[in-house]
Formats: sequence, C-alpha cells, structure tokens
Amino acid sequence: MTAAAVTAAAAPDLSVQIGKLTLRNPVTTGSGTFGFGSELADLVDLNRLGAVCVKATTSHARIGNPPARIVETPGGMLNAIGLQNGGVENYIREKAPFLRRFDCPIIVNVPGEDPEDFAAVTRRLTEAGVADAIELNISCPNVSHGLDYATDPRLTAEVVSACRKVTDLTLIAKLSPNVTDIRPIAKAAQDAGADAISLINTLVGTSIDIKRRRFRLANGTGGLSGPAIKPIALNLVYRVAQTVTVPIIGMGGIMDASDAVEFLLAGATAVAVGTATFVNPTAVHEVADGIAAYLAQNGFTEVRQIIGAVQAADIRPRTTPEPTQEI
Amino acid sequence: MIRKFLAPVIANMPLAAPGHRVLTFLAPALVADARPGQFVAVAADTGVQVLRRPFSVFTADPATGEASILFSVHGPTSQALAAMRPGDALDLVGPLGGRVFSPDSRPGVRHIFVGGGYGVPPLVFLAKTIHAADPHALMDFVDGARSKEFLVGTDGLEEIGVTLWLCTDDGSCGHHGRVTGVLPDLLGDRSRPAHIYTCGPTPMMQAVAEMAAAFDVPCQVSMEVFMPCGLGVCMGCAVHRTDGTYARGCVDGPVFDGREVVWQ
Ligand SMILES: Cc1cc2nc3c(=O)[nH]c(=O)nc-3n(C[C@H](O)[C@H](O)[C@H](O)COP(=O)(O)OP(=O)(O)OC[C@H]3O[C@@H](n4cnc5c(N)ncnc54)[C@H](O)[C@@H]3O)c2cc1C
Ligand SMILES: Cc1cc2nc3c(=O)[nH]c(=O)nc-3n(C[C@H](O)[C@H](O)[C@H](O)COP(=O)(O)O)c2cc1C
Repeated sequence: MTAAAVTAAAAPDLSVQIGKLTLRNPVTTGSGTFGFGSELADLVDLNRLGAVCVKATTSHARIGNPPARIVETPGGMLNAIGLQNGGVENYIREKAPFLRRFDCPIIVNVPGEDPEDFAAVTRRLTEAGVADAIELNISCPNVSHGLDYATDPRLTAEVVSACRKVTDLTLIAKLSPNVTDIRPIAKAAQDAGADAISLINTLVGTSIDIKRRRFRLANGTGGLSGPAIKPIALNLVYRVAQTVTVPIIGMGGIMDASDAVEFLLAGATAVAVGTATFVNPTAVHEVADGIAAYLAQNGFTEVRQIIGAVQAADIRPRTTPEPTQEI
Repeated sequence: MIRKFLAPVIANMPLAAPGHRVLTFLAPALVADARPGQFVAVAADTGVQVLRRPFSVFTADPATGEASILFSVHGPTSQALAAMRPGDALDLVGPLGGRVFSPDSRPGVRHIFVGGGYGVPPLVFLAKTIHAADPHALMDFVDGARSKEFLVGTDGLEEIGVTLWLCTDDGSCGHHGRVTGVLPDLLGDRSRPAHIYTCGPTPMMQAVAEMAAAFDVPCQVSMEVFMPCGLGVCMGCAVHRTDGTYARGCVDGPVFDGREVVWQ
C-alpha cells in the first residue's frame, strides 16, 4: 500500500469530548502562547484546531510586569509576563469577533484575585456568548495576591464552585505543578463541578546573571515551560488520570506529535501546544497530523483507543526473592 | 504575509570586521513582502537553544529573489549561521515586525540614519528603499563603532548618494567619539526638514532620540529587544511606552516614535 492509501484507508477518528465540547482533534493551544488567534492567522488555520485557548482575560486591564519578562534556560524558558491583557470587556469587543468567524471552540483562560472575581468574569463571558469553555487559571505563578488557589484543595473547590454557579459552559480547572501532591486538588476540582482538568501550568523557577549579580527576570521568579518540563507534566497527567474521571487536557513541553501521543497514552483526552508555537508556529497542525499518522501506523481507528492506554508500570521489586514458606 | 520556510543558502561571506558575516539566501516571497525594519526569526540546530533568534533583513533583491542578513558571531545561533554553506537550508519565519520604518515624504527632507553594530542592516535596507523611490533623496548615514574594523555594512551606500559620517570610540576612523557628536551639525541645518531613523544599542538610541527631541526633529527608533516568539503572542518583548503601557516590541514595533519610548 502507498502512504496515501494508508491514510485514505485508515483516516482515524480524531474527535474527543471535553465536557460539552466536541473537538475535531485533540489538539488545542496553551493559554498565553497563542495570543487571541489573529496574530497567527497567516500561519495557522483555526478551522483545523481542536479548540483554541486564548490569553488570560481578567476583570480589568492589566499592564503586566516590567521587562525582562522572558529568559531562555536549558531546554525551556522562564516567563513572568504578569497577565498583560486588555480586560474582559476588551476581549468581548475586540478579540472575540475574530475568533467567532471560525469553526473552532473557544476556551477563555480566566485568572482571578478571589472566587468572586473569577465568577464575575466567568458570568460576563457566559452572558456575552463569547466563550465555549472557561479555563480557570487558578495556577498562575506570576500574580501572587498572597493566595495560590491551586495549591490547596479547599481553595480550588471554592473557586470552581463559585464559577459553576454562574455558568453552564464547560468549566476547566487548570492546575499547578507547584504542589506536593496534586491528586487531592484534582479531586477537589472535579467534586466542585469542573468538567475537565488541564495541567500543567508552568513550574516556578528563576535564573541569575552572575556578571551583574541580579535576577534575570525583573519579577525575580517566573514560570518554566518547554521541553524541560515534559517529564514532570507527563507524570502529573498520569497521576491525575488515575484519580479523576473527568477528561484531562495535558500540556507541558509538547514539541511534536510523539510528545503528544505520550500525553494521550498517559491519560490525557486532549493536549495543548504551548512554547512549541514560539519555535514552530505551525506546531499545532503538525501535532494533529502526526497523531493521525501514529494511529494509522499502529492500526488504531480512533484516538480514543490510545487515551490512557499506557501499560501500568511493573512496580514489583525485582530483587526481592519470592516469599518462602519459612516459619 | 508571514511564512515558515526553509531557504537555500546562496552565500556566506565573511566581512572585514572580525566575526561579522553576510548570509545570503533564496527567498522570493520574503523579498516581495519584506519592509525595512522587518526581521526573520532563525532556528539553527544548536542543540542548546530552544527559541529562535531575530535577524534584520539586510538586503532584499527583487531581481534575484535573494535576501540577506548581516550578523556577528555572539552565541550558538550566530555560530551555527557562520558555519552554514551554500546549499544548506536556513529555517526561517518571516517577515516579522508590525510597524516598520516609514520614510518621511516631506519634499526636500534630509533623511538621517544613525546606526551602530547590528542596527546598521535595517537602516541600509531603508536607505536603498528610499533611494529606489526617489533617486534624488538627500541621505546622511551616521555609522558608529568601537573602532575602524567594526564599521560594517555601509558598502555601496555612497554610490547611491548617501553621505557617510563614520564615528569610532577610539578615533581610529572618522569622528573620534559617539554618533551624537556629529548630529548637531546635521540637525543645525534649518534650511530643510530633517528626519532621523536609528537602530543600535539602546543607550545610543536613547541619546539620539533625546537629541532629536531637543532639535524638534522626528525620530524613529527600532527597538531590538529580546523577542522570544516574534509573532506577538508571548508578550515577552515589552517596550515601555510613555502612556504607561507596555507595547510588544515585535508586532507593535520594532519601530517606534522616539518620543513614545520610556528609556531606562
Ligand atoms: C529585531 C531584532 C533584529 C536583530 N537583528 C540583528 C542583525 O541584523 N544582526 C545581528 O547580528 N543581530 C541581530 N539581532 C540580535 C540577535 O538576535 C541576538 O544577538 C541573538 O541573541 C543572537 O543569538 P546567538 O545564539 O548567536 O547568541 P545568544 O546566545 O542568544 O546571545 C548573544 C548575546 O546576547 C545576550 N542576550 C541574549 N538574550 C538576552 C536578553 N534577553 N537580554 C540581554 N542580553 C541578552 C547574551 O548575553 C549574549 O551576550 C537582532 C535582534 C532583534 C530583536
Ligand atoms: C509566555 C507564556 C505565557 C503564558 N500565559 C499563560 C496564561 O495567561 N494563562 C495560563 O493559564 N497559562 C499561561 N501559560 C502557561 C501555558 O499555557 C502552559 O500551561 C505552559 O507553558 C506549559 O506548556 P508548554 O511547556 O507547552 O509551554 C503561559 C506560558 C508561557 C510560556
């Protein structure tokens, strides 16, 4: 069979369900790495994305942090953007109309200062009909109002349930990797009404310029993203998949289709491409095409067949002898 | 239109200045679209860097479809570029840059380019573009460097009627001192309007912009801040504006009005 015949014969079904949304393929964008979609219009066809997740939108405009905001580190980068955005009304007026021209579900990323603030933005976006899903960014490492909601199951539940009360849209809780045990937090998000969980947000880190003896980022610390964080993200996705029943959007260092397949095997129903877009603006398409090729090559007809399909690790200690009948 | 593509390398020529090279590649679509001040984001196989690196378009020849960048060897990407050979494929995204140099259209205007280091390439492209539109345009190019051997990129400008003003910190060539040393004479000529276009190290651009403001001459500055994505999505290349907001250097710039920028 020729390559074309393989594709034609197989044409695997890539569609997945995240809450109320049906995604044509499991590939979406990491918030903050894809702007509001229009910036990449020359390079990316939004009609071919599973969904688009836009930059964080807050109740009021935020000017963001002073530079330097980004530094490159081995295998990744640190960012401390400070959620620069024009605010929810600006999103509704200026950004949403462009996105609405495409047949692509819109996920709006919503940070907040307290549960009321999260809920107010969620309600406004819902009423205005400018989002298909809300991703609660309870895990942004760059806006420390003292509280990091995603580090505590109770606080996570407070935010999720406050928003659950004001919207019927698909509600996604975006979790932080900067915790000792992510499982109770994921469980709390699900129990409070989240339809899906996305992870991971960036890992807190820093970098020091030894010549000037100063932190490289004006903010001091930033969030680490890119290939360097993939093993951590993959493990957390696997752990959370063992803990919750709602679908997971996995992300963290996905650069190509094989990375994405790893996340699907670990239990993610969909994946988000983040930092990779900076390096390769068409990565979202290449990842989706590559997943389809992987499925076809391995005889799968649906992407659903590989979600969570990694075999459990064999954790029996190999050095311990079989128990013997000693008394 | 922004494209991601592989461009075949045509030539990789060392310049007289140590570590400086001009890399020429075939990119007809880029040549057709690129405007002075725009840049390409290069991905080189460095093994250590994740992000692309921006390089200004130096030349864009519609007759041949060839474009070039002028660079100096700093770190991994520029090292990899230095090692490229004709026939190799250069991995590019571009042209990038939202706001580009806008030539002053007032009749008889004196165009003054002030460049230093890797700020020279976009200004050379601009000078050639202005000349192509108006062969009689009056142009002065102030080029500054540490010393004589580091004055690069201005070859061929005198042939299109540009007056060169060379400045070196050590006095090894031309004016002994900073580029701002020769500006007062040029700006003092009140018989015709003047317009400054500058690109180079930030302290140089700040000094030039402040002098332009003092002489009440318009000044466009190209802010070469670190640009992680170059596409306007990462918000990393913040340029502080006098209205208190942060612009994106890549798509709201890289060219700004000198009076718009808060200099640190
Ligand atoms: C719009 C634009 C146009 C440009 N055009 C040209 C051009 O035409 N020719 C040219 O030679 N260069 C140009 N540059 C600069 C070039 O992109 C950088 O020097 C690039 O970092 C070189 O990559 P490298 O891997 O060789 O070196 P790198 O390893 O990236 O480092 C080069 C040097 O820059 C410093 N550096 C890197 N990142 C930062 C940062 N965030 N803050 C402060 N210092 C930093 C490093 O410390 C090092 O000394 C341009 C930059 C911009 C933004
Ligand atoms: C520059 C930048 C800005 C980001 N902004 C946001 C944001 O506004 N909201 C959010 O939830 N996550 C934000 N993130 C996190 C990403 O969405 C993603 O969770 C993280 O980068 C890990 O994926 P990656 O390694 O593929 O980039 C940002 C990441 C980067 C690199």
